[in-house]
Amino acid sequence: MKIVDRFEVPYYQYLNEESHLADVIPPLAEDQKTLLDLYRLMMLVRVMDTKAIALQRTGKLGTYPSTRGQEAVFVGIGNAMEKDDILVPYYRDMGTLIQRGTKLSQILQYWGGDERGNCFGNHDFPYSVPIGSQTLHAAGAAYAIKYRKEKRAVVSIIGEGATSQGDVYEAMNVAGVWKLPVVFIVCNNQWAISVSREAQTAAHTIAQKAIAAGFEGEQIDGNDIIAVQHRTVEALKLAREKGQPRLLEMVCYRQHDHTTADDASRYEPKNTRETEWKKEPIERLRRFLVEKKWWTDQQETELQESCAKQVDVAVQEYLSVTPQPLESMFDYLYAELPEIYIPQRDLLKEVEKVVHG
Amino acid sequence: MKIFHLPDLGEGLAEAEIREWYVKEGDVVKVDQPLVSMETAKAVVDVPSPYAGKIVQLHGKANEIIKTGAPLISYESDEVVADKGSVVGKLETSEKKWNDGDVIVGGAKKTSTTIKAMPAARVLAQQLNVNLSDVKPTGRDGLITADDVKQHMNQAATSTTALTGATEGLRGVRRVMAQTMAQSHREVVPVTIIEDADLTDLPPKTDITARLLQAIVIAAKEEPALNAWFDGKSLERKVFNEVHIGLAVDSAEGLFVPVIKNAETLADAELRKKVDEYKKSVMDRSVAAKDLQGATITLSNFGMITGKYATPIIVPPAVAILGCGRSRDTVIARNGQMVIGRVMPLSLTFDHRAVTGGEATRFLGAVIRELQK
Amino acid sequence: MAEMTLVEAVNQALAYEMGANADVIVMGEDVARNGGVFRATLGLLDKFGPERILDTPLAESMIAGLAVGMATQGLKPVAEFQFMGFIYPAMDEIINHVARMRNRTRGRLTCPVVFRTPFGAGIHAPEHHSESTEAYFAHTPGLRVVIPSSPARAYGLLLASIRDPDPVVFLEPSRLYRYAKQEVNNDGKALPLDVCFTLRSGEDVTLVTWGAMVKESLAAAETLLASGVSVEVIDVATIKPLDINTILASVEKTGRCVVVHEAPLTCGVGAEIIAQVAEKALFSLKAPPERVTGFDTIVPYAKMEKYYIPSEKRIIEAVNRLMEYA
Repeated sequence: MKIVDRFEVPYYQYLNEESHLADVIPPLAEDQKTLLDLYRLMMLVRVMDTKAIALQRTGKLGTYPSTRGQEAVFVGIGNAMEKDDILVPYYRDMGTLIQRGTKLSQILQYWGGDERGNCFGNHDFPYSVPIGSQTLHAAGAAYAIKYRKEKRAVVSIIGEGATSQGDVYEAMNVAGVWKLPVVFIVCNNQWAISVSREAQTAAHTIAQKAIAAGFEGEQIDGNDIIAVQHRTVEALKLAREKGQPRLLEMVCYRQHDHTTADDASRYEPKNTRETEWKKEPIERLRRFLVEKKWWTDQQETELQESCAKQVDVAVQEYLSVTPQPLESMFDYLYAELPEIYIPQRDLLKEVEKVVHG
Repeated sequence: MKIFHLPDLGEGLAEAEIREWYVKEGDVVKVDQPLVSMETAKAVVDVPSPYAGKIVQLHGKANEIIKTGAPLISYESDEVVADKGSVVGKLETSEKKWNDGDVIVGGAKKTSTTIKAMPAARVLAQQLNVNLSDVKPTGRDGLITADDVKQHMNQAATSTTALTGATEGLRGVRRVMAQTMAQSHREVVPVTIIEDADLTDLPPKTDITARLLQAIVIAAKEEPALNAWFDGKSLERKVFNEVHIGLAVDSAEGLFVPVIKNAETLADAELRKKVDEYKKSVMDRSVAAKDLQGATITLSNFGMITGKYATPIIVPPAVAILGCGRSRDTVIARNGQMVIGRVMPLSLTFDHRAVTGGEATRFLGAVIRELQK
Repeated sequence: MAEMTLVEAVNQALAYEMGANADVIVMGEDVARNGGVFRATLGLLDKFGPERILDTPLAESMIAGLAVGMATQGLKPVAEFQFMGFIYPAMDEIINHVARMRNRTRGRLTCPVVFRTPFGAGIHAPEHHSESTEAYFAHTPGLRVVIPSSPARAYGLLLASIRDPDPVVFLEPSRLYRYAKQEVNNDGKALPLDVCFTLRSGEDVTLVTWGAMVKESLAAAETLLASGVSVEVIDVATIKPLDINTILASVEKTGRCVVVHEAPLTCGVGAEIIAQVAEKALFSLKAPPERVTGFDTIVPYAKMEKYYIPSEKRIIEAVNRLMEYA
């Protein structure tokens, strides 16, 4: 008998729970400007997220999935990506989307039930509600990049629950065997609605699912923005330059219900959220910035005000947008609407006159 | 005052229970400040304030259930408009209880046999105004074919020829008229009595129509046999105390007969008002279906245009209709002298299955008496 | 007897049958500890334990395939798919295995599963949560497709479906889940499958519908009665196999037929019903049949959703058009 394979799964953390740096640090840890940008972005996401929940509770927004506590994951990824990389999001990725040109008001538009919320102004994919199905699209897009010999990469973000879906393994398998330039990033926030990480899979880490597909996987402290950003940059470099896929498991915690239609108090052990909150990413970075004398209380107050203002503007924009005319249900069915559907569209035009005048 | 209504807190939730208020009446709150903890079937959620302002009223106590869309909190405000909690779309909630009533597993019983006819046969029958129940079927299982309809036409007593060339299918009111008149012709036994009313001594500007309507009311009290309904099949009649006068009104689309209900309770001015209202609502097609039903007797003022006497048609179940022709100046005899008088011709048709000649003549006499008073 | 909503009636039926039959296993995402995202499986974990109520990993194809395996070994899996929009990964299992197991093994192995899922639009949910694609399943030989429209029928038909020896796709209209309450007797009595329910007798028009559209149809029938039109409302309930005889008898009586469904027009189940009416009751028709359905578009997001769902007004207009034919 001989052992034919072993594997290792590294864990990365540069800024720890006490806001202290590790011994070996990436350049980002000393980049004051970028760190301040990241801090401001995370704060904006947090404020917008809180407002979105309030909007749902007051009947102005539909079901909304909070990104609270996971700001570092999405903001870090967005910062690490190049402009012409391709993003394949799932639905919690506000922090990434806003760095790729999506307006806050457009994000509200989607959750408010308006199709125009899904037309990002760039080449990224739209939201994906059927869990995990988008990883296959990411693999396909990566193939197109490889085929055209472009220097680009694809980022596919999913939750840890998605890794139970067959589609996700199929996507990883083909990425591995065809050497596709795609980085699979798992936001492991410990919960898939009410199903805990332990009940989802017996695998010790999510990261090691990559081993079965033939490439590397690593775990990253999802509350450490420096680790998130740096490891994503490295993974994208590998994908872009060597056509090697990688799986990044960002370990963090879901600091709100799955969506505003869920009630985690039914299944989440009491006090877990409180305990995990001690590791939350924004406070962690703030303490570090203050230590380095790169951030003051005054700036903090100004930032809160500016975020509140930005969010207000976004909310007003969203609330005052002209609704789509009803016949627009037929606008994007085909490149050119086949004749037989015109009577149905005309019926909607009549209704539109009554409804919107 | 601004009212914040309870929005839909989840996906289609009908109600929520107040767990705990975080504020009280008189408090001044900020936007997004948590107001109350609500428990729904799915979750316990905090509801934040959509407005900044002073709380004037809390619409419920702890443990009370509030329906989605119902008022939750009132704020002091200069605005008068009430906020409906701006839920997207309409809520599928209801106080109603499911009432299945008589749910039948499977199908309901048939109460009458129906006619089986080829679609082409049906269309043909409609065009030729043939009643399918009169046609003899020769197809399989009692099926009426197009040929059967043609055969029926050929056997008809009168040699009606089918219309050729470009024809127009009757629709709407015209269609109903064709069918109704034919039915009346088949069932009613009409007799028409004609007479003139002498209106010479009436003051000018008298509202003749209102007088006519009042005259009908009084005549109906004296001879109620004409203010009745009759069923030729069961040979039953129903005599009415109330007088609901149908008023024939012509329009571009055809004849409409709106009904002045309880004319016996209305004064002249009210009658005139009703008449004018109906004329208008017929013209702009806003007359309601319910106003076109329930006449116990009808007045047809065909004389607005031209014509003296007529044989107006009764539509069952009514038994009488009074036709009023064009008033004219003419020579009449008074005290052995020829004088110019104003005369209004009246034609009363009655259904002789249900009304006697005596009843009819006395009715007409009463109408004329009242008109000339 | 207790008053309950449709989703509570589903819960009641599940609890009853699990108590009566130890082979019934309930499985799905978030069904155990959470009681289901609509609380359809509330309380079952406490009553019956974690070996009979299973919180599965997040994988629909797996849920369907597991159910096949269990069912062939004599268990009675009742699997929940969180929304109809997410049942599609399981289509391979459903079409290639669930529907064929009895046929391929010549009866040696059978697949008595029940696949439950909330379906239909009207709850202002995000995209993909508003599907009404019963036609995909109605087109598959070997399946039963059952759709309740009231708490009492949800209770009785779910019991019947679980007890049925063949696979059943049980579609629950989410828009009616909490709409009003009804007295339901928890007596374990099943309602018959494969038969329509005549909810309202009428003489002038036969209105055939199912699921959430029963609500608008009954309201339309009430409004129409006030203007003298008497509508017979038939709830199909078992979409497949279709009880066409009840529908035909009604059409023969009234001579006018309208089918109302939320699903898109083209190739919806209404097309099948009208085809059979034309084949077998053509000579009783006084007017061409009508269909009042969702448009041939993707179900719009929440802001336009209510204009997609056929309204009471559209139903009334269709009936009035039928009534123009004497």
